Amino acid sequence: MYSIFASELAGKEIVNVSGTVLGEVENMIFDTKTGAVLDLVIKPDPEAPRGRFRTEGKFMLIPFAAVMAVKDYIVVDENRSVPAPPAE
Amino acid sequence: MRAEITSLMGLEVYTQQGVFVGRVDDALLDPEKGVLSGLALGSINRDLFNQKSRGVIIPYRWIMAIGDIVLMRHLKKHGKDTKRK
Repeated sequence: MYSIFASELAGKEIVNVSGTVLGEVENMIFDTKTGAVLDLVIKPDPEAPRGRFRTEGKFMLIPFAAVMAVKDYIVVDENRSVPAPPAE
Repeated sequence: MRAEITSLMGLEVYTQQGVFVGRVDDALLDPEKGVLSGLALGSINRDLFNQKSRGVIIPYRWIMAIGDIVLMRHLKKHGKDTKRK
């Protein structure tokens, strides 16, 4: 099991499977009860395609289910994004 | 409850018996499972952890509630090196 500090994730770039940079990580939304990461809050690149992700103000929310890999970049697959569970 | 991870930072961590443990410095994420696996604490209570380290990491499953403070399970033995408290 490998793990990563949340602070390391801040500012990391998000790319989709076709290699387009979507933006960078601003924050993360998690469930305080289970600790499950629900969404990544992304500061979108101005030229990035909006895709099918939800937006919240000037930020874009990417469900963590769409995340394929986290290393130097965060790779997301737009087709894998299932709607995040509703807030309690 | 949904919360932003940055809202965790700096929160004080207490055990369910009201003992101060430390302050949240960072969170540890398991990217494969998509869950938080632990919290990294700084400014730790030296009565609980009498080690020289700057901080400790507590597993997320010890956490009972997160609100204005973080509440965690009270464990008699924190790590190897504990004083009686």
